[in-house]
Amino acid sequence: MARASGARSSDRVFLHSRLALALGFGGLLAIMALAGVDALNVLRQFRSSDDQIRRRYLSQNHVLNDIRSDVYVSGTYVRDYLLEPDTARADAYRASLEEVRGHMESSLESYRHQVAPTEAKHYSALRAELMDYWGILAPIFKWDPAERRLLGYAFLRDEVFPRRQNMLQLAGRIDALNEQQLDAGNQQVVALLLSFQTRLLLTLLAALALGLGLALFTMRKILNLEEQARLQYVDVAEARTQLKELSARLVQAQETERRSLSRELHDEVGQALSAVLIELRNLSAGLGVRSEEQLRRHVETIKGLVESTVRVVRNMALLLRPSMLDDLGLVPALKWQARESSKSTLMDVTIAAELNSDELPDEYKTCIYRVVQEALHNCARHSHATTVRIRVRQETDRLLLTIQDDGQGFDVQETKGMGLLGIQERVTRLGGKYKIHSQPERGTILSVELPFTEENTSAYVHETNSHPVG
Amino acid sequence: MKQIRILLADDHTVMRRGLRLLLESHPQFGVVAEASDGRQAVEQAEATEPDVAVLDIAMPNLSGIEAAQRINTALPNTAIVILSMHSDEGYVLRALKAGAKGYLLKDSAEGDLIDAIQSVYEGKTFFSPEITKMLMEDYVREIRTRGADDSYDLLTSREKEILQLLVELKSNKEIAHVLNLSLYTIETHRRNLHEKLNLHSLPELILYAVRKGVTS
Repeated sequence: MARASGARSSDRVFLHSRLALALGFGGLLAIMALAGVDALNVLRQFRSSDDQIRRRYLSQNHVLNDIRSDVYVSGTYVRDYLLEPDTARADAYRASLEEVRGHMESSLESYRHQVAPTEAKHYSALRAELMDYWGILAPIFKWDPAERRLLGYAFLRDEVFPRRQNMLQLAGRIDALNEQQLDAGNQQVVALLLSFQTRLLLTLLAALALGLGLALFTMRKILNLEEQARLQYVDVAEARTQLKELSARLVQAQETERRSLSRELHDEVGQALSAVLIELRNLSAGLGVRSEEQLRRHVETIKGLVESTVRVVRNMALLLRPSMLDDLGLVPALKWQARESSKSTLMDVTIAAELNSDELPDEYKTCIYRVVQEALHNCARHSHATTVRIRVRQETDRLLLTIQDDGQGFDVQETKGMGLLGIQERVTRLGGKYKIHSQPERGTILSVELPFTEENTSAYVHETNSHPVG
Repeated sequence: MKQIRILLADDHTVMRRGLRLLLESHPQFGVVAEASDGRQAVEQAEATEPDVAVLDIAMPNLSGIEAAQRINTALPNTAIVILSMHSDEGYVLRALKAGAKGYLLKDSAEGDLIDAIQSVYEGKTFFSPEITKMLMEDYVREIRTRGADDSYDLLTSREKEILQLLVELKSNKEIAHVLNLSLYTIETHRRNLHEKLNLHSLPELILYAVRKGVTS
């Protein structure tokens, strides 16, 4: 269950970082795309407005030049008209003048559509001046040749030339304004470019910052993952070494146990039985020969030998596996073990058990019993403890065991004897956990937690059907 | 004198034969049936209704404990002695709970069997001296190492008296008669006894008494 929730939380972490990465990269790409679109847009705007301004300037310039040349030409025609003595030719000049006037007016009219607000004053002044000009010219067409000869030169000097000068000045001013406008247009374009530049700069900065952040985030993630992978690898390697070490030690321990069993069988049981055999031979040889007193002594010897052999065999059997574990259950077996330890070691060993039922799965009983046995063995050999408290508690989904002594303790990191490895092996095989709290001079607490899982508990249902005592 | 009728159940033939020889050397005993497993023992008991059933604790088919339980239910007047190689109090308590009145170690069976059968036939409990000795030693060591108060001192002399009679397997009614007290008073004393010693069954009380050396 813990494993599943762990997987779920790691899924959540992965989801979060995936979301962050997607958002980061998406944002970065979006910013770059926006910057590109903006740049294209600005370029297009720039080109079109530049074009427009230039075209307008050119067309205005053209019209103004037309007007200007018309003014000159008209002056020339006026002069020619005034100075021409021949009436027919004078009329031809007059017609040409009319034509120039028409052209000029149409030019003015066409210019009227493109007059900028800044030019309006000058434009209307120019227009008024032209009207005046033509207005002044009107009477001269009624003059006869003599009048023209007499007044023509003075008229030209006093009326036509100053006015013409005036008009040309006005046209020049409009021209200047026009040029100003061109400048203003150019400045507008420059401003557009400037604002685009700022925007582009900002966008680039944002993209850079985001990219940097993203790079840092990704980097950290990758480094973290790498570190985790490394740690896991170390864990796995360590576990493998431990496993190898453990199995080597277990094989060794098994061999040691067999050796001691074999020795005990041979030295104790075998010797005793041989002795019994010898005594029995003596007895049968002595029947009818020796006195009853002597025979009784032989029998007593045999009795003693057999009694001690029975004791040895029983102790060996109990050591291999105490029968109460199967016959009476875990708690009586633990109590027996506690009493045996108390008797043989001077430690005060107490058992407190809270079991809902005594029908625990066999593996659990054996595991708890062996762990207690091993722990008591360790206490007796290394700890110099005077009291050992053992608690077993059954909960709905697990079995808890704590063994606490008041001995001299040890450094948990340094020490890893066979007993502890054995405990570890037994506990982990049932999917349980074990923990040791110990400090030099502060005693030791060993706690074991065995979970009840489906596969472990289903197996024992078949076993509890019959439970022979014996 | 009326002969005591005995059922012998043990899966080891040699053991059974040895015990039979031992019993038959005493004229007051008569072995009326033998069984080599628990089921057979129950059948034989029901068929012969012996005064005393001697059951090995470890037998095939049905253990001695289970057989004792069934015989005790079917024939409450048959006293049961359990033969065992286990000296642990867990086994003793279990035998008592199954209704046995005697508990004998096989090692010393030939020496104590006669006394055991005689005692349970007379309605008293009987334990191998080794068992009694071990239980008493345990108790003494417990008091000593733990420095605990001896709960026996909490009992009044009347309660001690009643405890002894209970261990002799007397009923409340019999105790009331012996002490010349009302049944109600005995029941109250008995409740107090269970409370003070924190022992809640007769077998536990009996073991306690053995530990304390209260029994004769």
